[in-house]
Amino acid sequence: MKKTKLSLFFIMMVSLIISILATPQPVSAEKKQTYIIGTDITFAPFEFSDSQGKYVGIDMELLERISEINHVNFEIKPVGFNAAVQAVEAGQMDAVMAGMTITPEREKSFDFSDPYFQSGIQMAIAKDNHTIHSYKDLKNKVVAAKTGTESAEFIEKNKQTYGYKIKLYDTADVMYSVLNAGNVDAIFDDYPVIGYAVKQNKPLQLVTDYEKGGSYGFGVKKGTHPELLTMFNQGLKELKASGEYQEILDKYIEAPASTQDEQSLMGILKNNYPALLSGLLYTLLLTFVSIVIAFFIGVLFGLMSVSPSKLSRRIASIYVDIIRGIPLYVFALFIYLGIPNVTGLKLSPFVAGIITLSLNAGAYIAEIIRGGINAVPKGQMEAARSLGLPYRKTMKKIILPQAFKLMIPSFINQFVITLKDTSILSAIGILELLRSGQIIMARNLQTFNVLLIVSVMYLIVITALTKLSKKLETKVNANGR
Amino acid sequence: MAGKIFVKDLIKKYGDNTVLKGISTTIKDGEVVCIIGPSGSGKSTFLRCLNQLEEVNSGTIVIDDFDITDSQTDINQVRENIGMVFQHFNLFPHLTVRENITLAPQDLKGLTKSEANALADKLLDMVGLLDKAEVYPNSLSGGQKQRVAIARALAMKPNIMLFDEPTSALDPEMVGDVLNVMKKLAENGMTMVIVTHEMGFAKEVADRVIFTDGGEIVEEGTPEQVFNHPQHERTRSFLNKVLSV
Repeated sequence: MKKTKLSLFFIMMVSLIISILATPQPVSAEKKQTYIIGTDITFAPFEFSDSQGKYVGIDMELLERISEINHVNFEIKPVGFNAAVQAVEAGQMDAVMAGMTITPEREKSFDFSDPYFQSGIQMAIAKDNHTIHSYKDLKNKVVAAKTGTESAEFIEKNKQTYGYKIKLYDTADVMYSVLNAGNVDAIFDDYPVIGYAVKQNKPLQLVTDYEKGGSYGFGVKKGTHPELLTMFNQGLKELKASGEYQEILDKYIEAPASTQDEQSLMGILKNNYPALLSGLLYTLLLTFVSIVIAFFIGVLFGLMSVSPSKLSRRIASIYVDIIRGIPLYVFALFIYLGIPNVTGLKLSPFVAGIITLSLNAGAYIAEIIRGGINAVPKGQMEAARSLGLPYRKTMKKIILPQAFKLMIPSFINQFVITLKDTSILSAIGILELLRSGQIIMARNLQTFNVLLIVSVMYLIVITALTKLSKKLETKVNANGR
Repeated sequence: MAGKIFVKDLIKKYGDNTVLKGISTTIKDGEVVCIIGPSGSGKSTFLRCLNQLEEVNSGTIVIDDFDITDSQTDINQVRENIGMVFQHFNLFPHLTVRENITLAPQDLKGLTKSEANALADKLLDMVGLLDKAEVYPNSLSGGQKQRVAIARALAMKPNIMLFDEPTSALDPEMVGDVLNVMKKLAENGMTMVIVTHEMGFAKEVADRVIFTDGGEIVEEGTPEQVFNHPQHERTRSFLNKVLSV
């Protein structure tokens, strides 16, 4: 009970310090050299990565031309729609351009440019479906849309009229997959997106016209970067006048079907192995850097947790309690979005990821170290102290060498856990292995095959590293004892 | 430095349980004292208070001229002069027999490696285990481990040696070797405080025998007095039990 109170106090102190450090976001009208623009991972044809891993699409080309016209740099961060919106709100990024519909709700926290695209929503059904010809045929069928979109609102509104059931999905790839699998009968999505999918020879067909819907806008956090909106509007006007705007639209909405094999396991591997390997490299880099930092954090707090000083033990246990009590996903968002939101401190996703994993694994390593030290028989400490060795020397020469041997299996285990935990960081936009896979899935909709490849890659790496560590462990234990 | 111990009104509690209820005694330089008594009588606790492995609640312990119950005293320095041998040996399993012995003198007395090794070999020779210098403790028998533990304690050249039931965990055939080493130490004038159940050894080697029960010294005197003419009923009943076995 006392401990809980103390932890609460600790949390309050930390929040207090953070809020003192926090400074209000300056409203700058000065033109910056480089603006950071957040976008979706995949929202074809507005933004998606081609098979070379380069980001293309209507939004991307418009941004590129507008940056040329205004002589500024746009740094594009494809972090996912929700992450981009949150990052702009938190001041981590300057603007969002992700096929974002202008709504009164969003206008409360965003300032939008002139609309650059008139959107609308459309229904698609499976290619081999011959029973649905209009909305009337949807009676007792299952209809799907993406959560929180205009399409979702539309099908909700018309549910009574046509008598269908609704299913909502978070991502497009899952929604298109379940349509393929026959689990839903019709899907609703933004018409350019559906049109693009049909052009890409996805097994879809359109039987109705599209419903006129909202307009897309380029958004900045309310009250910030008015100069950026001016530049955008100016550039858009020029592109429309010169006819380039229409060219870009035609290029994507009339895009020819991809000739690359993105369906078979081998084809996916062949086209995407550079992206997957680079994702794997990020995963390993995150793991190694974090585990090394976590080791030092763990040793510090582990030693504190067995120290004779009551205060040290208390501090260590509060730290461990906090980390153990917060889900890693929440903790990652807190570090990446929460702390910058009040301090104005910008963290790159990679740095935020390393901080998250290091603090997280550090707490568990502290526990491993505490357990290892406690597993060394008490008589060892007494024997060394009775010889006149001071506490620190006894720790260093007698207790820790024995404890570390006992801890090796737990260290290996923690290493594997941390490697797996990196996948959670896909949520804050780090291009690690899972995220790389998600981008490919979103493009080719081969959910099963891509996840299979990603899983096997994790499996191989983790198994190899575990085997290697086991060998090392045997070697260490062969010396002495 | 000599090896005197002065204890006055020593009280030790574990929570509400008072284990030592005001012990006072003086041990002279070179004296060999055996402490006997039923288990739970506080004899091991008393021994462990003498080098502060147990903190005392009140009372005074003076080792030579150092009041170790005074928090100003550097206990590590005093401990260098007090060797201790444990019931369960407590050898360092990650170090070889020789390293077990050389660690403290190298670290605390600044001996070079070769000086420390020479010292270790001399001590191992004395306890009859020179051929085991390179092995790790886990390959030794209990009796061998205990002799290494004695050598390790002696490497700091202490004037006082504390033995906490040194033969209780040994197979009977190993006990003799360990007791012989201890006898040799006693003959060389080491101050020794021994908690033991070996009544024969106590009779033969001790200058003085202390019988404790219920956290108090019930009776003390020469082995002749305590074993042959015990004054107290508690002493008599204890001796009847252990000697009739």
